[in-house]
Amino acid sequence: MNSVYQARPCIIRHTLILLTIMVLFMTKASHANTLKDLGARLPRQYKHWTAEPEDRLYDEESIYSYIDGGAELYKAYNMRQCLSRRYTTAKGPSIILDIFDMGTSADAFGVFTHDTDGNVIDIGQDARYRSGWLSFWKHRYFVSIYMEEETAAAEKAVKALGQEVAAHISKKGFRPRLMQKLPSEGLVSGSVRYLHHPIVLNYHYYISDENILNLSAKTKAVLANYQAGTETARLLLISYTNLKVAKKSLTAFSKHFLPDADKNGFAEIENGKFAAVFLKGKLLTIILESDSRRLAEKLLTPFL
Amino acid sequence: MTEKKRVITRRDFLRAGSYVVMGSLMGVSLPESASAGKTQKSKVVLIRDSNVVNENSLRADILGQMFDQAVSDLFGTADPQSAWQQLVKASDIVGIKSNVWRPLPTPPALVERITSRLIEAGVAAQNISVDDRGLAHNPVFQNATALINIRPMRTHHWSGLGTLLKNYIMFVQQPWMYHGNACERLGSIWLKPAVKGKTRLNVLVMLTPLFHGVGPHHFSRRYLWTYGGLIVSTDPVAADATGARIIQSKRNEYFGEDKPISPPPRHIEAADIKYALGNSQPDRIELIKLGWEKDILI
Repeated sequence: MNSVYQARPCIIRHTLILLTIMVLFMTKASHANTLKDLGARLPRQYKHWTAEPEDRLYDEESIYSYIDGGAELYKAYNMRQCLSRRYTTAKGPSIILDIFDMGTSADAFGVFTHDTDGNVIDIGQDARYRSGWLSFWKHRYFVSIYMEEETAAAEKAVKALGQEVAAHISKKGFRPRLMQKLPSEGLVSGSVRYLHHPIVLNYHYYISDENILNLSAKTKAVLANYQAGTETARLLLISYTNLKVAKKSLTAFSKHFLPDADKNGFAEIENGKFAAVFLKGKLLTIILESDSRRLAEKLLTPFL
Repeated sequence: MTEKKRVITRRDFLRAGSYVVMGSLMGVSLPESASAGKTQKSKVVLIRDSNVVNENSLRADILGQMFDQAVSDLFGTADPQSAWQQLVKASDIVGIKSNVWRPLPTPPALVERITSRLIEAGVAAQNISVDDRGLAHNPVFQNATALINIRPMRTHHWSGLGTLLKNYIMFVQQPWMYHGNACERLGSIWLKPAVKGKTRLNVLVMLTPLFHGVGPHHFSRRYLWTYGGLIVSTDPVAADATGARIIQSKRNEYFGEDKPISPPPRHIEAADIKYALGNSQPDRIELIKLGWEKDILI
């Protein structure tokens, strides 16, 4: 009897390990297959442009060999796979199509919000076109198409190829739910950044050399600009999964960034602007560089 | 007991307003070499030739001549060989740190010229190696007594500019750790044992610099322009600061408005003030301009 009871946990443990390995393997394989499948459905000949014979597929490690320097951005948003295809023609510049499988629509949206310069165009779920480069997101994919040199014909082809790629991604994704908490009044269009890595936050708004807000893959954060008349402010919302971490972040931020805050969490900072911090449950609200205390209070009110 | 590291925040920068105060905030004392560096100007040679890049092809012969001329003028010698005699000893083990970024790599012709000058100066061929991403496992770099730093200038997503200072990021195992605050800590890499005090020459390639970037690869041929130049100095900070001024001028000219390099290349000033690696301010740089003057932008 004893040996049977001893053997059972062992069998269960081994089964669980095997299942975990299978799930991990299948997840990775399915991401690769999905991206490959998507690539297979896309045209290899496009107007004057012909795809090079082999698509290239990168994972979260090999992406460094493809995108020098900028790869950290995609890792910061948990990139799973990237499919890269180069279209060439004798009549003009090459066109490079990169499709990033970000794993979730929130991260596809997030990486899209990293660079929101350019003109809004109607491709995928959000798209921007700026000189020589089209980017958009749809479902869990972030898509970048750029031309090595800008010509009218290449621009036309890039936009049409973008439409084609978007059409082959049948599902739609959801913007992060945390976005719904942003007050709509005064929100500057196109200013919202969704992130969960300190290097991305520090790129858009430098906070500190240490990760005092404990941002991680488990946290969700949005950074947005507000305008009220001539006054401006930034709002940072961070949603933690763990109350302890949320409290620890409040303590660290108060200690290092706002040691001079009053009892309501407000402080006038060195450039004459106002900052504030408030924690409710697991949601940390931070006002950054508000032109007036009045605007900072107004932005903070919905979170009290 | 070790003292706990002080957290630096944006407010410290607002308070300090400059790296001079930041240095003291962080308890960074100026290395001995800094005091010497501060008493004298850094010599930088900018040499240009209108024919070195023609219809996107590189004239290796002209490039070699430009490089030799720049090195001779930098060291005040009648010929390049004499300059290289000052630069290296026959016993040196020399790592040539290039840059392999695909759209804009270090020109092989320039590396070949440097290699042949090193051999002429008596350095054994087996004691010379050119590397970028593999240098951590390269025995020549592991045992190097001298480094030559050479790379093309370009704008960069995290650091504002891909500079000579930034070119040494491959000497650390986790480059991304240096990306905070526009990579302002890059200068600290130059104080690591594998690097400190070993760099004999810095060559910032300004043949076709990239003055603006877009997309994941931060590249578009639209933002390359034929400048036809090389910037050569023993001071990496002065060379980078000079290149940065040219890039900034080009951006302003091209976009027709003040278009700051984004993010600001803070690491150049930080390398001067915080890490004391050289001079970043124009009044501390003796700039020698040679050759083609049209649209020099500085």
